[in-house]
Amino acid sequence: MDVGQLQRQFIDYTASLFREEWRGFLDDQFTQLRKLQDENNPDFVFEVVSLFFDDSEKLVNNMAKALEQPTVEFKQVDAHVHQFKGSSSSIGAHRVKNVCVAFRSFCEQQNIDGCKRCLQQLKHEYSLLKSKLETLFRLEQQIMAAGGSIPMVE
Amino acid sequence: MEKMGFGNVTSTSKTMKIIDTEKKISVLIVEDDLLIQKIHKVMMTKFGTEVQLAANGKEVVDLFLSGASFDLILTDLEMPIMDGIEATKKLRSMGVTSMIVGVTSRNQDSEIQAFMKSGLNACYVKPLNAEKVTVVLNELKNI
Repeated sequence: MDVGQLQRQFIDYTASLFREEWRGFLDDQFTQLRKLQDENNPDFVFEVVSLFFDDSEKLVNNMAKALEQPTVEFKQVDAHVHQFKGSSSSIGAHRVKNVCVAFRSFCEQQNIDGCKRCLQQLKHEYSLLKSKLETLFRLEQQIMAAGGSIPMVE
Repeated sequence: MEKMGFGNVTSTSKTMKIIDTEKKISVLIVEDDLLIQKIHKVMMTKFGTEVQLAANGKEVVDLFLSGASFDLILTDLEMPIMDGIEATKKLRSMGVTSMIVGVTSRNQDSEIQAFMKSGLNACYVKPLNAEKVTVVLNELKNI
């Protein structure tokens, strides 16, 4: 595949992640992060996304442990979800953030079933996002290996 | 509430400050989350400011006690050891007149009001983005 084709594939794939009818995986905050990447910070987005997924693993594990306790400390669960909401909105992880919003409601209601359902949804959404972003980064690497530049998709 | 804009300062800290326009604006980012620290640092650096980091309110207070000063402090609310409210109150009581802007995940009116009352110049809900940073820096240049 030539550079032009790779770049078009990248543009189409990126646009698909923002598409509203699929309840966009990403929102404008992700675009803001891409704009921060430059020659001084050439791997900024990759580093930030990697940090996010490392943090996510720990937070999801903490939530799971907290929900397995004989007496669930909903404030503790909420604290983890709150942190996850903050980091997901900071990278533009739109769907993950929305699940966190619903999750916090269930924590407030002390609804254990609702919380457990949200946890499963959270795991699902963040796995999906991880896979989508890995594809995106792979496409970027292919473009750069072919000597092209990464298009900015607004 | 998305933000409490400038003009709602509840402290008596708004004094004239001459900022050397040739010197970079110095910014202290106070944030315990490493991911958000990284994003805010790169964002503020991209806007041409000189950035230093602190992980909690106590580090900020210690910095000022040691004689450091900054044109702008961007502070989170929830942090270990000393949170943003306590740190802001302490800084204002020490006579710190720098612009202090809260950046928090909390978005309930009452929570933002409480944070503002501690002596902030303005407060924004996370995430920080180019638009919010532009407003803050323009406000700083106009003081």
